Amino acid sequence: MHSFAYRLNTLLTFSLLLLAVLCGAASFLDAFNSPLSASSSHVQASAQVLKVNRFRRQLNGADEVSLTFNVSLDVQPLFTWNTKQVFVFLAAEYETPKNALNQISLWDHIILDKDQAKFQTKVTTKYPLIDQGSNLRGRKVDLILHWHVMPKTGRMIRDKLHLSDFHLPEAYT
Amino acid sequence: MDWQGQKLANILMQIILVVSTITAFGIGYSIGSFQMMMFTYAGGVVLTALITVPNWQFFNHHHLKWLDPSEAERHPMPQLNDAAVAAPKKKATKIK
Repeated sequence: MHSFAYRLNTLLTFSLLLLAVLCGAASFLDAFNSPLSASSSHVQASAQVLKVNRFRRQLNGADEVSLTFNVSLDVQPLFTWNTKQVFVFLAAEYETPKNALNQISLWDHIILDKDQAKFQTKVTTKYPLIDQGSNLRGRKVDLILHWHVMPKTGRMIRDKLHLSDFHLPEAYT
Repeated sequence: MDWQGQKLANILMQIILVVSTITAFGIGYSIGSFQMMMFTYAGGVVLTALITVPNWQFFNHHHLKWLDPSEAERHPMPQLNDAAVAAPKKKATKIK
């Protein structure tokens, strides 16, 4: 500790180490409890398909569906002091003879603030539902809401919730 | 800084930094603001830098005791002349 540079180096190194400890503690405690949650409520959401805009078969043989649906969600319980943003997306899941599970993302949204985390909208599919083949006629499709909670420091938390299911028409429109 | 000053600077640095960390976490967690936690910690680091890094006077209260000049005169350093340079070098005698 006998020179200015030596002391400065020690200070910077030790403070950086403690910063890492601080971020680790913030991330660790975040997984267990949140100081902001007044009532431990769960994520609530619902989605209903309003109509099928287009259901056709592409030139390469794949089915393509475009929908309009009503989605309302409340992901406010997910926000803590350590949350940077929440990424939600609605996935359509169904089973075909070829694949046991098909998951296709229809719509996604980035939520930056707790105030923006509760809303309902009528929206069309951002990304069309395209099948590997033509197995969609009359198929039962589940709508599952997935979310990724991205923290300011720490690991990302992923979870999902089954919302509803619907049947595709028997014939192309 | 003298020896006692260096030890004081070291202890002060560690204690103030650890206290800043704990305070920052406490404040951030209780008010639920990540940004306040970072600001508090940064403030603590700057405070530590101001206290421990410059060579303040209170780090120099225990002056180092250098050898007394009269003691040094009794053990003069060996003089180098031409004869000594030509001959092989001898090891200097240890001063006890």
